[in-house]
Amino acid sequence: MLIKRLKTLAASLIPLLVVLPGAAYPDSQTSLNVFACEPEWAALAKVLGEDKLTIYSATTAMQDPHHIQARPSLIAKARRADLLICSGAELEVGWLPLLLRKASNQKIQPGQKGYFMAADHVEKLDVPLTLDRSLGDVHAEGNPHIHTSPENILRVAKVLSERLLDIDEKNADFYQNNYKLFEQRWRQSIIKWQQQAEVLKDINIITHHTYWSYLNHWANMNVLATLESIAGVSPSSGHLAKVKKKMAKNQVKMIIHVAYVSERPSVWLSEQTGVPVIALPASVDFQNGQSLELWFDGIINQLVTMP
Amino acid sequence: MTIEGLNMEGMDAGILLPAFVAGLVVLLTHIPLGREVIHRGIIFIDLAIAQIAGLGVIIAFQFGGEMHGLEAQGAAICSALLGAWLIHFLEKRASEHLEAMIGICFVLAASASVLLLAHNPHGSEHIKELLVGQILWVDWQQIIPAAIVSAIVVLVWFKFKHKIGKIGFYVLFAIAITTSVQLIGVYLVFSSLIIPALAAAKLEKSKPGMAGLSATGAMIIAAIIGVSGYSLGLIVSALFDLPSGAVIVWSLLISALIIPVLVSKSIKVES
Repeated sequence: MLIKRLKTLAASLIPLLVVLPGAAYPDSQTSLNVFACEPEWAALAKVLGEDKLTIYSATTAMQDPHHIQARPSLIAKARRADLLICSGAELEVGWLPLLLRKASNQKIQPGQKGYFMAADHVEKLDVPLTLDRSLGDVHAEGNPHIHTSPENILRVAKVLSERLLDIDEKNADFYQNNYKLFEQRWRQSIIKWQQQAEVLKDINIITHHTYWSYLNHWANMNVLATLESIAGVSPSSGHLAKVKKKMAKNQVKMIIHVAYVSERPSVWLSEQTGVPVIALPASVDFQNGQSLELWFDGIINQLVTMP
Repeated sequence: MTIEGLNMEGMDAGILLPAFVAGLVVLLTHIPLGREVIHRGIIFIDLAIAQIAGLGVIIAFQFGGEMHGLEAQGAAICSALLGAWLIHFLEKRASEHLEAMIGICFVLAASASVLLLAHNPHGSEHIKELLVGQILWVDWQQIIPAAIVSAIVVLVWFKFKHKIGKIGFYVLFAIAITTSVQLIGVYLVFSSLIIPALAAAKLEKSKPGMAGLSATGAMIIAAIIGVSGYSLGLIVSALFDLPSGAVIVWSLLISALIIPVLVSKSIKVES
């Protein structure tokens, strides 16, 4: 009787196993499949390729792109991708090599046309002069958060549009035209943002870590200190004391942190010093249809409306 | 992101099958070892051993070793064995508080890794990799050596259980945990070890002549709970596009709640 019961149980599991290899999914081959590691590149691809592309973003603006949880759809999307767009500069080093290996999609392997690393096409900041292990060689290639400067976006847009027409020749005119339109609009926006950001010039700020290096550099803000002196390691009391001392000596306008990290360290420092905190969204809210322009508008507004 | 409900494209054998097989490999050792762990009442030993293995890798790195490949494996297994020996030693000295001691070993190892990594963020990625391995990233090159190691562990356990003594159990346990943690991560290892074994232990007869399953019967039930937990978890994670490891933890629990009810009915009918 027990054995019989066990057999029925085992039999009821068989359909579950049969489903696994089953279910194939039809490819939509009418458009190019784009796999973006971060939402900013998804948004950029969207503006350059519009409906010629089917775009998937592996992360949202509220996720830390250093870390990602493996979901089945992630691998499925990578398998079908014609073009992979990531920041590069070791930002995705914790998961992208694993994903590429699992996806075993020849088109998006390093060196192929379908492998596009945005950071390869701009000049990087925070490149360590010496590779000292005590600082962690995590950022050996420099700061990977290149999308926080509008100039970088334009540079990447140019190379990306060239890559798109290289992969999808039949729509070459379309991509070329779209890039020209985007370039025009974006240059006008940069002029507008530069005017707005005039008031930010030479102000002292404290940042949680180095996420906004390119933005700070572009707007000529002076980063007096970083709360996390080593990325990913909570600050020691000695370091916090140093930061506080610096803040007491200088006029500091604000403490900036990226919205996806905990606000606690920044808020703590703010309570200690009375300097206000702002949380800037790390990237475009692509999943809800936000554009790069709107995202950047929002950031500049947040910075300049600071009392 | 799937707004339109079920996500069929994740239902791909090429994606789910290696993960499923990795689960089977882990269950192979964890079903018998889990039974033993429950018997001895040392539930948190796997967390402690995994943490100590991770600590070993960090120490190796501090002394200039590479974090990948054989060196890291060697460091992990050596420190896991040392940890096993330590717990074995504690069992002899203070067996009445053993579970508390194991808990202390766990937090000490965890805090020691925080201290060692205080000036070294590079290592933190790797320690995370070691402790929170992700079952979907697993590929056949990792599964095959793990399967061989697990087969040897199980063989030694069943053949020589009574000859290898207590220290033998700890050695096998350290090897099995170090192998499986890197495949599927610490949460899944803990659940695979404890949930099926605990559910099956309730059905096992405590004295000869009483109603209940034999030891083998209990292990078969534990295996069924494990296999159906992994199958269900992988399918749900594919359909709803959720992180697989975390879903499997929950589906193991659901299997552990449902399957014993079905079985205990038939036991009653039988007796």
